[in-house]
Amino acid sequence: MALAGANPLDGFAALLSGALGGPRQLAETLVQTTALLFPALAVAFAFRAGLFNIGAEGQLVVGGLCAGLAGASLVAPGYVAIPLVLAAGAAGGACWGAIAGFLRARFGASEVIATLMLNVVALLLANYLVSGPLRAPGAQGPETALLPAAAWLPVVARGTRLTLAFPLALLLAGLLRFVFARTVFGYELRAAGEAPEAAARAGVALRRVAFTAIALSGAIAGLGGATIVAGTLHRFNVSLSPGYGFVAIAVALVGGLDPLRIVLAAFAFGILQSGSLTMQALAHVPKDVVSIVEGLAILALAARRVVAPRIATA
Amino acid sequence: MHETFAFVTLALVKAAPLVFAALAGVACERAGVLNIALEGGLTVSAFAAVAASYATGNPLLGLAAAVAAGALLGGVLGVAATRFGVDQIVAGTGLNLLAAGAGAYGLVVLFGAPGASPEVRALGPRGEAALVVAAFALALGMHAFFAYAPWGLRWRACGENPAALRAAGVDPARLRVAATLAGGAIAGLGGAFLSLGELDLYSDGMTAGRGFIALAAVIFGRWTPLGATAAAVAFGAASALQFVLQRSGVPSDLMAALPYLAALAALTGIAGRARPPQADGVPLQPETAP
Repeated sequence: MALAGANPLDGFAALLSGALGGPRQLAETLVQTTALLFPALAVAFAFRAGLFNIGAEGQLVVGGLCAGLAGASLVAPGYVAIPLVLAAGAAGGACWGAIAGFLRARFGASEVIATLMLNVVALLLANYLVSGPLRAPGAQGPETALLPAAAWLPVVARGTRLTLAFPLALLLAGLLRFVFARTVFGYELRAAGEAPEAAARAGVALRRVAFTAIALSGAIAGLGGATIVAGTLHRFNVSLSPGYGFVAIAVALVGGLDPLRIVLAAFAFGILQSGSLTMQALAHVPKDVVSIVEGLAILALAARRVVAPRIATA
Repeated sequence: MHETFAFVTLALVKAAPLVFAALAGVACERAGVLNIALEGGLTVSAFAAVAASYATGNPLLGLAAAVAAGALLGGVLGVAATRFGVDQIVAGTGLNLLAAGAGAYGLVVLFGAPGASPEVRALGPRGEAALVVAAFALALGMHAFFAYAPWGLRWRACGENPAALRAAGVDPARLRVAATLAGGAIAGLGGAFLSLGELDLYSDGMTAGRGFIALAAVIFGRWTPLGATAAAVAFGAASALQFVLQRSGVPSDLMAALPYLAALAALTGIAGRARPPQADGVPLQPETAP
């Protein structure tokens, strides 16, 4: 900040006031928190199984695309349309994740490389579809048609963009905590991540767990994409995510892969995301400094103990 | 005839930065460091090249700055992975975010405007041609190094079985840091080619995923310098073909997805087993004996 010729304290104050200064700012911060929370939970889910899902970004985009297409072609009352739109998003993300899961389980391919490649393919595919065959007639940019208002997620705080997506994300965090701590599947997942050899001897089918973990991780990220489409944009646009899927990795690590602490971490990063624009306007600190902070945070916080050993399927 | 020549030239210009980045990837992965921050390396070096050329008016100093910036980013990855126990993939993701932010931030700090820098003194057609030649020379040199040089053998051993290397009296951690420094410097040449060779400015997002295409080329080229170079040239030619085919209505987005799909196919092993170095991406175990 000092480099940009601005007073760092002013910048910090502007960041905080932009993120928390009033009910509307707070609501916007929670919108960003929500957008980060879904992919962060997705990343953590795979991490717990010892898998690196670097592809939350791509899964989020595909989920958003499926939600946008499903929503735009639906004529149904809200209580039918909204669940269908969200399900379409989760299914899209799951399919995209399943490709990487399949390559991992069937061929032992690195899920890091596979999800990384699928990220770019997702963006290119979405860009091709919405700028060509599926572009809404008369649309200004590469985007699908507007969703009917019945398919919009209801706003939970009047006069803001904060929708039902936020409580939904919190609910999901609680559910995942329950799954990790109390279910057989959650136990197998953690065993596969923390002690793959022991898990395999105890009868855990590592390949099946790997496939399921990446596919479900994709479903969570895809659901996040669907909530952005149905909650804030009300249509699919290729630039729906300014890299949420990548920042989510930092969020998941800061949260120690624990769903409830990830909620707090997502809130902290939400402050950064939503406050950065105010900071740029008031204190003349470029908003991109936030990306630098996020990158440094990942480096500083990624101690080895956080990351479970990799699965050995061989 | 003339059109063929124009196409080959365009293909080489498109391939050169991919060749540099792919060789950088090979250099790192053969030592056991999976460097997914090649994209970030291209970004910071492309920016550093323009910034230095802007400040000094000398594009050669820009090239030097790019190499230094690339090496610095690579070195951070190497040190974080070997000395601080940070996972390579996580560190690489962080560095990519950091690099994208640094480029965008640097534009505002240095030129006072977001988006793109003003035009600066570039390397010119001769410099551009020299870099293309250098890319292929580097590929041959790296091939010879891995095949014949004693340190080339140790380098590869570091990626296959670092414990054996340690037993032979070489510190694999130091070699991995050296590999990421060297790889970063090579990626720096690619970044400089983008901003001072092909163009004469830096703009946000100008690397356009080339660091990831390079990772695909490394896989497709089976982790060898010559194989990765051949794959990078093929991907470069494919992207040159995009310009030609645009007029005939083939969707450019789908063409652009080809390298990634090719890499995914390579991962399935349909064309023979594509096996990474055994210890690629695997952290070093702490020393047990003195």
